Amino acid sequence: MRNILLIIRREYLSRVRKRSFIIMSLLGPIIMACVGIASVYLSIDEAEDQRVLVVDENYPLFATIESSELIQYVISDADLDEALATFETSEYTALLHINKNYYKTHSGQLYFKKQPSFRVQRAIERTIQLKGEEFKLSEFNISESDYRRIKQPFEMQAFQYDSVSKTAEEADMLPAVVGIVFSILIYMFIFMYSVQVMRGVIEEKTSRIVEVMISTVKPFHLMLGKIVGIAAVGLTQFMIWITLSFTLLGIGQYALLSQYDSASVFENATMTDQMQKDMSEEMQDKTIKYSSEDNILASISKVNFPLMIGLFLFYFLGGYLLYSAMMAAVGSAVDNDTDTQQFIVPITFPLILGYIASFILFSNPNSPIGFWLSIIPFTSPIVMLVRIPFNNVEIWELALSMSLLVIAFIGMVWLAAKVYRTGILMYGKKPTLREMIKWIKY
Amino acid sequence: MIETKTEQIISVSNVTKRFGAHIALDNVSLEIPKGKIFGLLGPNGAGKTTLIRMLTGITAPDEGTIEFHLKHSSSSIGYLPEERGLYRKMKVWEQAIYLTRLKGLSDSEARHHLQVWFSKMNMNDWKNKPVESLSKGMQQRLQFVITVASNPDILILDEPFSGFDPINAEQLKNEILKLHSEGKTIILSTHNMSSVEELCSIVGLINKGQVILNDSLVEIKNKFRKSIFEIVFDGSQVAFANSIGFQFEILNIKNDNGFLIATIKSHDKVSPNQLLAALLQTVSIKSFREVLPSMNDIFIDLVGQQTEKITE
Repeated sequence: MRNILLIIRREYLSRVRKRSFIIMSLLGPIIMACVGIASVYLSIDEAEDQRVLVVDENYPLFATIESSELIQYVISDADLDEALATFETSEYTALLHINKNYYKTHSGQLYFKKQPSFRVQRAIERTIQLKGEEFKLSEFNISESDYRRIKQPFEMQAFQYDSVSKTAEEADMLPAVVGIVFSILIYMFIFMYSVQVMRGVIEEKTSRIVEVMISTVKPFHLMLGKIVGIAAVGLTQFMIWITLSFTLLGIGQYALLSQYDSASVFENATMTDQMQKDMSEEMQDKTIKYSSEDNILASISKVNFPLMIGLFLFYFLGGYLLYSAMMAAVGSAVDNDTDTQQFIVPITFPLILGYIASFILFSNPNSPIGFWLSIIPFTSPIVMLVRIPFNNVEIWELALSMSLLVIAFIGMVWLAAKVYRTGILMYGKKPTLREMIKWIKY
Repeated sequence: MIETKTEQIISVSNVTKRFGAHIALDNVSLEIPKGKIFGLLGPNGAGKTTLIRMLTGITAPDEGTIEFHLKHSSSSIGYLPEERGLYRKMKVWEQAIYLTRLKGLSDSEARHHLQVWFSKMNMNDWKNKPVESLSKGMQQRLQFVITVASNPDILILDEPFSGFDPINAEQLKNEILKLHSEGKTIILSTHNMSSVEELCSIVGLINKGQVILNDSLVEIKNKFRKSIFEIVFDGSQVAFANSIGFQFEILNIKNDNGFLIATIKSHDKVSPNQLLAALLQTVSIKSFREVLPSMNDIFIDLVGQQTEKITE
């Protein structure tokens, strides 16, 4: 046990001190934070004021359009070609052409110098549409309040009904996004760190330190020490990434918030959600106020973070142990990196299958393939985390998946140790899979 | 085979090891006496490395037993493999501490022992260098120091001189002799027969998985003596030839600075005294000695014979 700890310590420290580890640990969150900050920043940038020249072929139908804080309208009855000719040099940011016979065509064109955001475009559309409605209402002698009362959109929320607890949980996209992000992280970490185990084994073998090592420690201890040490490196990197990303995001947002009015930043930052709503409900109504920030916060609170992080750690470690044991066996069998290809491809195949499957499950969570892939230990570490947020995983499924993974990695570590024991002392020729299986019996 | 009363430290009894169909060691028995330098010899592929790996516990015998008569556990074996290496990126001192601590020493013990050896071998300047920046000879020295620093009772050195220049090889030889005088048991596996003659008192020769010779160096030389004598004399060649008679065959005779040097071989068991008595009457003797076979000759003889048998 003392020697395993010494080995873990060396494996851990020698990697954590490496320049590449430090760079990766710092660069990862910086890139993530940059993406985050950039998206917030871009949404702020889009919020700049618009001056729209409205060329109305139905003049003066839209002459009374009111400008908003963001968008200023100037109505004109000029000819489109004339207006366009001077548009380039004018102070206007956009030119809106409303087609003749508005009540038949219901259409127009927007010309711009710099593309306005989707949100701005929607706002312009809505303004014109509402104005058009206003005239029709007075024509049919319907009061606006009556009309608004009639024209209520039908709101439908989707719920997952749980027959056991007789409760209903609102289905939401955001927890699923968290699920797939975790699943991608697991895939990445398993891949990165199990390959590191293989490289480490090859390094020990080619530098010929291995014979000195195993005259002092048991090969199994050497292998296990390496696997655990590298797992600790992976967890350290994960922690650094999470902590740094959140810190940087926090700093970034604070810096941006101090420059802009905080409310508008928040509104802009959550615009994606708003846009979806705008799109799905063409007949947008002014009186129905959608508060997108409420929705996001509600969605986030629906993510069971303790469960997700707990499962993330379990499935990462389980999957990593399973794959790194196989990688250690491969590393012990070959003399150099180039010989590893023929073994890595079959080993990583289920890993990649799980990765692809998680995207399929993301859009179709009840696909039958999901059940099997989240039970089989070779794919379950990646697939299970995608299924969890949809609340369609039975407790027994989770228990079965987790216990199978534990059995699989214990079995695989045991098998790999047998191959490893023989492999690390074999030099010269590249073994075949059949030979490696024979080593298990030695 | 060895008729000595010395205490044995390792007893290898009827050990067999197979790799698939290949028999690497076939019913091998050896006794390694305590406090001696044991020369483990044999041609390439004879099974030396397999035997050493079993002594160090890297592999286990299929049949037979290996017994250690030690007060402590098996961690008191220092092993310098033939194919040896170090973690290339690690710093010299850090690596030495790590490998010494794996032998069961505490951090402070490891530091203490290593410091003694680093000073003795003039290695203090290297401590913070990465191993990959050392020359091959420097790495070999570091490996030797790491092997002995944990103060093991038994040292197994596989080709310890390979890669050393003559000066460093001499220093290493002296250190091995010093360790021997401190009572360490040393198993030296090498193809360098002159170093065997200089260092070893007991030899075990393995060929094709079997022990074909296991005795003290003196006994072996006695056993393989061929009654060959070298005589340096002043006088006539004819008189010399007449006086030795038919019981001797002249293998070679040459002139060296006015003296003649003759190498002769006895056909019968004629005592050197009788030969001298006859010679003294005819020529003037400057020197007289029996030519004992070198380990090199014995090795080639024994291993060569076996190879011939096979080819026949």
